[in-house]
Amino acid sequence: MADERMDVAALLGRPVAEDDLLDRLHAVIDPELGVNIVDLGLVYGAEVIDGVARVRVTTTTPACPLGSYMTGEIRRALFDVDSVLDVQVEVTYEPRWSVDRMTDTAKAQLGWPV
Amino acid sequence: MAGLTASRYGLLALGGVGLLAGLTGALVLLGMPMPAPARDLGADHGVLMTLGFLGTLISLERAVALGRGWGYLAPLLTGAGGIALIAGAPAVLPLTLFTGGAAAFVAMYVAFDRIERSLHTSVQAVGALAWLGAAFLLLGGRAPAEVVPWLAAFLVLTIAGERLELSRLARLTNRARIGFVAGAGIFCIGVAMSVASADMGMRVAGIGLVALAVWLARNDVARRTVRMEGMPRFVALSLLSGYAWLAVGGACWLLFGATPGGPAYDAMLHAIFLGFVMSMVFGHAPIILPAVLGTPLPYRPRFYLHLALLHVGLLLRTGAGDLLGFEVAWRAGGILNVAALLLFAASSAVAIALERRASLRAVPAPSS
Repeated sequence: MADERMDVAALLGRPVAEDDLLDRLHAVIDPELGVNIVDLGLVYGAEVIDGVARVRVTTTTPACPLGSYMTGEIRRALFDVDSVLDVQVEVTYEPRWSVDRMTDTAKAQLGWPV
Repeated sequence: MAGLTASRYGLLALGGVGLLAGLTGALVLLGMPMPAPARDLGADHGVLMTLGFLGTLISLERAVALGRGWGYLAPLLTGAGGIALIAGAPAVLPLTLFTGGAAAFVAMYVAFDRIERSLHTSVQAVGALAWLGAAFLLLGGRAPAEVVPWLAAFLVLTIAGERLELSRLARLTNRARIGFVAGAGIFCIGVAMSVASADMGMRVAGIGLVALAVWLARNDVARRTVRMEGMPRFVALSLLSGYAWLAVGGACWLLFGATPGGPAYDAMLHAIFLGFVMSMVFGHAPIILPAVLGTPLPYRPRFYLHLALLHVGLLLRTGAGDLLGFEVAWRAGGILNVAALLLFAASSAVAIALERRASLRAVPAPSS
């Protein structure tokens, strides 16, 4: 039994913090805006539980079909993170996205005076 | 998951058939020698391009966004309408299918409104209602030429609503929002008036189109992203060049009103439906197709080739052809436009096939 626990621990590796996942998600770029989804404020949460990375994201409007595109890109960004065995992405519209969620970095990239 | 993706490919293929048939009809109208069965497509060219192709494509995009099975009724019925038209079925069948597709498209906006009520969604919903209105007018016996303002409203308001939404990311002010509503409102009033008075309605709508073009050129986030590189720059240049054609088209509507046939009519239609709408389609295809088909489509500099071909062809057609009266230029420009759309379709299909093969090797399939 003890040996089994050790095997699982070895498989899972060190715990993955939300910041680690968010760092990886900076690589997911909105193709039209050229800005990453973290700075756009589209990522509502990211965590790893029992080797499964769960990411909650939104789009700027529910009529935008990029949710499924983002799901694929997020999987690509996270599937090789140590101790992540699977990636599950939930697209949600609660709470609603607004420009207030954008970081200063994103605003600067889009020409806001920040 | 695989079944859903296959269904989307199938629905996209229905739109693709509408596109190919619509382009065949374009060649007939350009006076190219075509075999007898293809000649009838000339009369259906406009409806095939706006509903058979664009209606299927846009409603498929919305169905993917909504993520509910019934949403796919819109592209299914619309695509089937295109096939029925091509097959020469009695007019009532394709028109009924287009009407059903429009109703499902409107229903999707009701669902979007329940998720999030907003100005940009409402503007697109009015565009969906314009498609429904066009379908009813066609069913009621109106000729496609009489329904042009309604078909234009479907496409212009759908696109303008999308751009209004994204313009929030470029620090949209309340004053700018009011300006948008004014331009879109004038356009809608003109479209509604066109049922009773085609000439006056189109002139009023033309004012709205010019106002919308100026608004979009000033407020769209493309003004910022055009300074970037790669895909954002390509999308932005597609959009901004499309706004120039929207302004040209709107000015033609204002100046010429309802002109049955002839060079002015050719310029009025194609500045909007080709110059504006197809620029948007070209710009957004590398973003929307991956979302619809689940296959990445990285930016390639060759995307500029079909965009340039579209604009050069349209300049030749409307400038040297429609304006200066050189029929050879009009025909050559029209053929270049057809070539641009075929190149776009072929280039997208090849790029998706290659990327799909590569991505299937690289990434494991989702577990659920």
